[in-house]
Amino acid sequence: MKRIKTTKFAVAALCLAGLAALSACGGGSSGETAPSTKISSVRVFGDSLADSGTFGFKFTVQSTDNYIFAERIALTYGQTLCNYYTATGADTFVPNPKPGCTNYAIGGGVINTATVANPTTNLKGIQFQLAAGAATAYSANEMVMIDGGGNDAAALVGAFLQTQLSPGAASNAQWVGLLGTMSSAAAAAAADPVNSGVLYMTALADQFYSTITATVLNKGATHVVIANIPDITLTPRFQMVLAGIGAAKGAATQQQLQAVFQGWLSAFNKEIAAKASADSRVLVVDIYSNFQDEVNNPAQYSLTNVKDPSCPADATLGADNLPTYTFPKCTPAAASPGWQTALFSDSFHPTPYGHQLAARLIALGIAQKGWL
Amino acid sequence: MKTKHLNLAVVASAALLAATFAGQAQAQAAGTFTVRLGATTVMPDVTSGDLSAPTLPHTRIDVDKASQVSGGITYMWTDNIAVDLPLGIPFKHKIVGAGAAEGAGELGTVKSLPITLALQYRLGEASAKVRPYVGLGGVYAHFGDSKGTATLNALAGGLPSNPVSMKMDNKAGALVQLGVFAQVWGKWSVDFSVNKIFLKTTGHLSTGQTIDTKLDPTAVQVGVGYTF
Repeated sequence: MKRIKTTKFAVAALCLAGLAALSACGGGSSGETAPSTKISSVRVFGDSLADSGTFGFKFTVQSTDNYIFAERIALTYGQTLCNYYTATGADTFVPNPKPGCTNYAIGGGVINTATVANPTTNLKGIQFQLAAGAATAYSANEMVMIDGGGNDAAALVGAFLQTQLSPGAASNAQWVGLLGTMSSAAAAAAADPVNSGVLYMTALADQFYSTITATVLNKGATHVVIANIPDITLTPRFQMVLAGIGAAKGAATQQQLQAVFQGWLSAFNKEIAAKASADSRVLVVDIYSNFQDEVNNPAQYSLTNVKDPSCPADATLGADNLPTYTFPKCTPAAASPGWQTALFSDSFHPTPYGHQLAARLIALGIAQKGWL
Repeated sequence: MKTKHLNLAVVASAALLAATFAGQAQAQAAGTFTVRLGATTVMPDVTSGDLSAPTLPHTRIDVDKASQVSGGITYMWTDNIAVDLPLGIPFKHKIVGAGAAEGAGELGTVKSLPITLALQYRLGEASAKVRPYVGLGGVYAHFGDSKGTATLNALAGGLPSNPVSMKMDNKAGALVQLGVFAQVWGKWSVDFSVNKIFLKTTGHLSTGQTIDTKLDPTAVQVGVGYTF
């Protein structure tokens, strides 16, 4: 009798333990934990893709949560970005009086300042932004995010297309002149656009990386993220240009030219990747391939429109006969329905969702580096 | 993790050895209960599906192994047929990136409690000192207390102000086991078993994304028992 009681008691006790465990196991999911790497500041350099509001707006849809990719990455570390510079004109800038702003990127940012006004001082030159940032050394707890080259590539493509659309001494001089600002070898090969463009973009990457080395890596930075150039031939603006060429000269020429331009972009991206490959402090994120995949495979990214600009076009066309856009007018109400899941805001820049997708790719790279 | 695993094996072998030299003792006969306390390691053998859109193609997960204190009750229905109810506290598993997310590290943790009931056939006489057994059972895996990391949040497009959370569906599965029960001293015994669990579940993110995952864990348990 005594034994049975003991047995029953023991069983009951264990069952209770089991039940307690069950209830301890209950409950739903909870939120995220802090990153394991402490990043206490994020400094950003580059062009419109990374600009937090130098001109008073961001180069995307003007929604309340229109975080650009760099802002999303910074928020992951609890950091809020704001524009370091404030524009006083199209090409003139003063430091933002608001303290603590660390995003130096400016819309229209270029590596080769020969394509902008006041080439020796214009802060659209990313090297000038980087030099300003280098005035304060980087700490081991800082992250640096850099993008650039997209506007340079667009300028190169533009100069080349002029030689095709308006052949003559003037457009040719422009083309050869631009090539020569970066590489004498590129200028010498000007008659061979495939090769000269590759030489130009490779030299551009070399110059960019040596600037980054001098102003970032040699100033103590240990978490450096470089976003490569997206395939800008897939933007609505370039698609319109290419379609125009296709209409005038045939689909074969259109495809051939697109491949040439992609070769130029890839030359830059390959050179940056090669330069950075041996340096564990640098992460180069392949935005180029990811952006192509988004356009070719939109459902995978829940994108519903990868062709059309979401922002309303201005009433009149630009000097190049292409539509222009005014970002401050591109409010959620004015944007095309479905802009939330479209890729493009105007004809050249991503929507906030496009930025989110880019930020996800960058976050993956950062996590794989062990920086998250 | 590895050390713990090794320790279990050492304990098991020592117990088996001891059993060989133990004297005649209380049998595990029909109507008896054996309660045990020990430890279990659950090693998932994950076959992950792809996380649904929006994400990079072939974003997958892996689930790390976990160990925990465990116990159980064995009731001898006949001299050879036993009903076994393992008892324990939840296992905390790390979920890590795989496929396109390979190398991304820890995406979160989830606690699992595999509620199991097994029917066993124990070889040998009721009085035998060493009794190997085979078992067949059902498992209801209860998943809870999931926690996503900052990495999951950033990869899934969340923001710290609006983080992405995750959960896993509770699912039923099947279990097969091979084990050995050994009397060590008097009413004291050691029980060692290797269990294969066939279990599929679906993970959900608060973004609405899902991932089908075959977990199929192998669970190795060892316990010191007392027969009433």
